[in-house]
Amino acid sequence: MSAFIGLSSGETPALPGTETLMMRELQLPRRHAGVFFACLVWGLLLLPVVGRAQETDASSAPRLEAFDMPGDAGDSIGLRWPVLTTESKTAVYRVSLSKEQTGAFTPIAEFAATTHYETDISGPWWVWGAKRKDVHFFQVKSTSDFRLERDTTYFFQVTFSDGTESLKSAIVAAAPHANLLNWAKLNNFGILVAFGATLLVSIRRARVNPHIFLRRIPGLDAVEEAVGRATEMGRPVLYLTGSGDFGGSSDPSSLATIAATVILSDVAKRVATYGAELRVPHRAPIVMAVCQEMVREAYFAAGRPDTYREDTNFFISGDQFAYTAAVDGLILREKPAANFFMGYYYAESLLLAETGATTGAIQIAGTDAEHQLPFFITTCDYTLIGEELYAASAYLSREPVLVGTLRGQDIGKGILLCVMVIGTVAITLGEIFSVPWVKTLFQLFNDVK
Amino acid sequence: MLFWKRTFPLLLTLLLGITFTAQYYVPHPASESLLTEVSVWGQIISGFAILLGVGSLIRSHYVKIKRREAGWGYSGVMFLSMLIMLGAGFWSGGKTEGTSFGWLYSYVFVALQGTMFSLLAFFVASAAYRAFRARTPEATVLLVAAILVMWGRVPLGEHLISGIGSVTEWIMNVPNTAAQRGILIGVSLGGIATSIKIIFGIERSYLGKD
Amino acid sequence: MTDFVLRLLRLDRRVIFLLIAVATLLPLLYPVSLPIRVSPEVQRVYDYMEKLPAGSLMLLSMDFEPGGKPELYPMAVALLRHAFQKNIKVLGMTLWPAGAGIAEIAFTEVAREKGKEKGVDYVFLGYAPGDASAVISMGQDFHAAFPADYYGTKTADIPLLQKVRSLRDMQYVMSLSVGFPGIDTWYVYGKEKYGFELGGGCTAVSAPRFYPLLDTGQINGLLGGLRGAAEYEVLLGVKGKAMAGMAAQSATHFVIIFLIIVCNALYFLTGQARGRQR
Repeated sequence: MSAFIGLSSGETPALPGTETLMMRELQLPRRHAGVFFACLVWGLLLLPVVGRAQETDASSAPRLEAFDMPGDAGDSIGLRWPVLTTESKTAVYRVSLSKEQTGAFTPIAEFAATTHYETDISGPWWVWGAKRKDVHFFQVKSTSDFRLERDTTYFFQVTFSDGTESLKSAIVAAAPHANLLNWAKLNNFGILVAFGATLLVSIRRARVNPHIFLRRIPGLDAVEEAVGRATEMGRPVLYLTGSGDFGGSSDPSSLATIAATVILSDVAKRVATYGAELRVPHRAPIVMAVCQEMVREAYFAAGRPDTYREDTNFFISGDQFAYTAAVDGLILREKPAANFFMGYYYAESLLLAETGATTGAIQIAGTDAEHQLPFFITTCDYTLIGEELYAASAYLSREPVLVGTLRGQDIGKGILLCVMVIGTVAITLGEIFSVPWVKTLFQLFNDVK
Repeated sequence: MLFWKRTFPLLLTLLLGITFTAQYYVPHPASESLLTEVSVWGQIISGFAILLGVGSLIRSHYVKIKRREAGWGYSGVMFLSMLIMLGAGFWSGGKTEGTSFGWLYSYVFVALQGTMFSLLAFFVASAAYRAFRARTPEATVLLVAAILVMWGRVPLGEHLISGIGSVTEWIMNVPNTAAQRGILIGVSLGGIATSIKIIFGIERSYLGKD
Repeated sequence: MTDFVLRLLRLDRRVIFLLIAVATLLPLLYPVSLPIRVSPEVQRVYDYMEKLPAGSLMLLSMDFEPGGKPELYPMAVALLRHAFQKNIKVLGMTLWPAGAGIAEIAFTEVAREKGKEKGVDYVFLGYAPGDASAVISMGQDFHAAFPADYYGTKTADIPLLQKVRSLRDMQYVMSLSVGFPGIDTWYVYGKEKYGFELGGGCTAVSAPRFYPLLDTGQINGLLGGLRGAAEYEVLLGVKGKAMAGMAAQSATHFVIIFLIIVCNALYFLTGQARGRQR
């Protein structure tokens, strides 16, 4: 069998003189993936005892294998070979590469023979199987000096040198291919699916039984009081949606901003009902456009479309401190009776909330920007911490569907807490009693690439 | 009408939500190109959104001046500053080195921004004086931690009490990190739940009511 | 007496502002040198830089605008000095549109001080729009992400960038960040995808947020606020602006501590008075 790891059988050249290799390593992830859930526990139990039958080679040159690295964009190749018994701290391995089997080989790396083992690989067991300390591993990647081209076959040779002798491996070949799935993230996907399913089941159950207990969130209970106070005092209600934007997954502020707009809808409805004035200055134009729509709808829903003003929502500046200065000015001039600071904030949080505190306004903040929480807690009357902000729409509307998601979230959090506690205890005991598979088992909850 | 206002955005959200969740698990270059492409679209949309913002800004300040509302003079200052900065920018072709735009950037914009940021020190002090009181045992813990961190983070503190820097480091690395992680886990789960709700159209209040 | 104490408790905040202003100004006018202890997270950045061989590529992303200048600019200067001393090639850029001006000044000044040549020892690429997509496109094709540098020179013609094709070619990336986009963006869309080592610098107010990333190895070190910059200057053995600012920071911290103690003492006094009245 002359198939080389990393080459599909159709394109594998028969290379005389090169070592026979097996496809086993490349196929492992796919095969494991297919039976992943079913074989999980048994696979783990068997892992420590089922090792690859590879013997340490004492006499001959390194038995080199080359293969396409699994789960990548086709930009690297893996090399592995068994440890030689003649290795010492002074010995070195040199890895050379060529585009042609009979062409000149260029050295691409040189390292001490007592480094670079398979156990150094961070990949999980369901992709890599049992990693061995008696097998060397080296990952060939593009550098500024040479570039690995996708789907191009490369030839590799490893030379062992300890000052007295120099042993060359056989020449092996492999080609990097772009993969369609990163199997190392399979656990991540599994957790996502499990959590999503828990949420959907919780929502379904909440539809059947809508009487789900929700603990009190004083910050949201105080909304009514704050709006009522503003109405009595004849002063406006100031509502900020934070410094965030709907910037997609790359933007940490997106979800907080969405939550802030959802709460705005409810606050606007109460403001409309009471006949108070609402002021919503913005830093992000798209958020402003969405909020305009939501506030208008809220006034309609409250039966007061006549009192809705187009300039309730207005844009100030996209610049952090220009926005802060303008809002501080507004707070000092108009002295709103109630200030809401919802959404995502950066350094401006204290500048805004402290200015508001000096005017004697009732202040309610809510943010998942954990680094700004201390400032809000110090200067505001009520603060929604972290996910309380996301829970607001469920809490305010009491819609069974939304409340059900909260239940699902709590179940997810409970499971995570159990995993953390059990994991910490089990791994600690595993280390004390030298049971390595415990650590391997908990790779299921690792962020592995 | 309802299709374009409600059904179509929900379908689009579902489609893109599932596509880009899947994208995370696909290392193929085509998947990354797709992500880049969509991010670029996002940038273009944001670019147009600036027009929306500027329109709103001009309208609200114009109305203030027209109605002679309290502080309408500041709206005039806003228009003047905007025109000066825009004019200098166009005149200098966006270059900062040795241009009027560069001068405004270095000696007005940088100075104003620095001033606003430095206000934090003053506001931290006044907020601390007003609010940092040992009213409850929890507030006392917060208070003591704050004093220890402030003391240990500056050279004078370490000069006065040697070893306090290690206490500060422990507070930052252990209780602070633990609390941050706790909040982060909750926020992340809440974030995933909100995303799932939005992708599947369960949370749709951001679209306005029916 | 109680009235006086109550009045003190409701002290006009302008008095507090004045105290802070004096505490900041005096040490700046009459500098006092104090020993600065180096924290492990700063030491780790320094050690990593020390280990980089000459000729290595480092990307310094100055992800801040003028508001963050007082804290982050000294960090940038210290890092650039260290890199140039070690003959590390530096690529500069920013993800913040208003940050290009200050970043350019930092590069020009330190390069002049260390006698480094533009295009050979360093490149300043300017502002990259697009936050995460900018990082991703730099990872895919560096020259497509930056067809020209800040001064309009084609990157294909710049000697230093001849061999640079992707972020994978970077031996180290440092993001000095004041918010988003910043360290998070470089970690999620850069390090995770393209496998370079990442370090971070941030304002003191946001430093606590990045401590969890240190333990997990998501960043290999952190320079937090002016103190972080001062510690780096200590390691470099250079007296820079950050070290000069540490005396002022010491004074302001102690004024705040003093104010907290005073307000609590007054609070207890009024509490006792209330108790006596009952």
